[in-house]
Amino acid sequence: MEERIIDVNFGPQHPSTHGVLRLRVKLNGETIVEAHPIIGYLHRNAEKLSENKFYPSVLIFMDRLDYVSNHNMELGYVLAVEKLADIEVPERAQWIRMMVVELNRIASHLVWLGTMGLDLGMITPFFYTFREREKIVQMFEMLSGARLTYNYISIGGVYKDIPNEFKDKFLEFYNEFPKRLEEIQKIFDENEIFIQRMKGIGYLSPEDAMSYSITGPVLRASGIKYDIRKKFPYLHYDKVEFEVPTSNECDNYARYKVRIEEMKQSLRIAKQAFDRIPEGEYFNPVYRKQGLLKIKGKGEVYSRTESPRGEFGVYIVGDGTYRPYRVRIRSPAFHNLSATNIMVKGLKIADMIATISTLDPVFGEVDR
Amino acid sequence: MIIERGKMKDGNEYILVNPESLIEELKNLKENGYNYLVLMSAVDYLKYREVVYHLSSYNEEKMVVVKVRTSDDVLPSATVLWDSANWFEREIYDLMGIKFNGHPDLKRIFLPEGWVGHPLRKDYDISKEQFVNMNDDGTDRVSFDPKDGW
Repeated sequence: MEERIIDVNFGPQHPSTHGVLRLRVKLNGETIVEAHPIIGYLHRNAEKLSENKFYPSVLIFMDRLDYVSNHNMELGYVLAVEKLADIEVPERAQWIRMMVVELNRIASHLVWLGTMGLDLGMITPFFYTFREREKIVQMFEMLSGARLTYNYISIGGVYKDIPNEFKDKFLEFYNEFPKRLEEIQKIFDENEIFIQRMKGIGYLSPEDAMSYSITGPVLRASGIKYDIRKKFPYLHYDKVEFEVPTSNECDNYARYKVRIEEMKQSLRIAKQAFDRIPEGEYFNPVYRKQGLLKIKGKGEVYSRTESPRGEFGVYIVGDGTYRPYRVRIRSPAFHNLSATNIMVKGLKIADMIATISTLDPVFGEVDR
Repeated sequence: MIIERGKMKDGNEYILVNPESLIEELKNLKENGYNYLVLMSAVDYLKYREVVYHLSSYNEEKMVVVKVRTSDDVLPSATVLWDSANWFEREIYDLMGIKFNGHPDLKRIFLPEGWVGHPLRKDYDISKEQFVNMNDDGTDRVSFDPKDGW
């Protein structure tokens, strides 16, 4: 048959692009020759906006980066400012932070699991995963009063103390979630079509993953055991027990498996943190009295945290005034997405959609 | 050639190199185990621009920072060492206006082609709005006239 290569524009308005991803795809029949992501449709330049705000006010932009794991984004920024301005945080706040961050990781992975099902034409698991996520969101609502942009983790501690009803809600979730997760997992793993569409598709070699600065579950599914929580512990990650799940398969199925295992580990960490929350202050008393607006710092700091998508980093340059001179954000999904071309070359269009969904891009964070 | 050594506020060590020996220094570090390009940032200090490379390792727990300064906004590209430098450099070119020699496809990544100025520069005027529309052939058209926008 005659070979004819055509250019196809995919997105930015398409139900399976997880927001506003646009791809310029070169096709030979239905086989992909090249696929180049075009991004920037949700670009707000949070880095520039931050330069004109006081240190505590920048937090609202962080909330709007990765809008399915807001606590993780807040934490990355808050840790950087605390390093810059030498602010001490009470123990109680540290353990509460760890608990909410891990719960948020579960919520984020549940959103990914449900939407990945939608991309592959499985509507059922979406309702199961969102039912479980709803429980976590309700817990966050108890803590912060908000359901999406929490603004809960604050410089110097956390915004509010844990209410009494939270404890029952958390324990109920802790006891029930493993059973529910097994139920959801069965929908996927007992589906022959799902397995066939995931296994051996979207191969990403460890060498390429390292060269493209890929982090998070995508990297760990390529066989590299790299987790900031283990390598450069922050909060109290060195004091809790958990494992880092990896896989050597390097394909879509491996990425799915790694994220499922991660949810189990996150629940483990959240429970350990919940058990060890000590009595005491939840906010630095000095800053409670004087307010947060007078924070200033001089120097350069880089804080690294493990967000659900990989390494989230914030680099702040302070010039000794009340506003940051420069805020630089390292968003993990940006880099995970940059490897799209090498992963989907030679696949069919439908497999490309499955592959992109296992990369789990969130466009608030990719475009910043 | 290393011009300066020091420590940043967060405890990471940094080295300041000159643009001519930048790629050589990065290559040396990569061969010594710093195989993970964590972050490339650009900071505008008015008289000169500083590009900051955070390097780490996938196997060991270590981190080092490489800095380079430029006043004419031209630097050598690190795409020969890491594929991830491709998008990093496109982003820095887009928002800070630094050109990287040897980059395979240096064009704007977030903003539409034809955008006037580089927003992260300190002298960029944020009060001037720019409006984007599309030409008949599908390319972007940027103008300062609100009637010309979407």
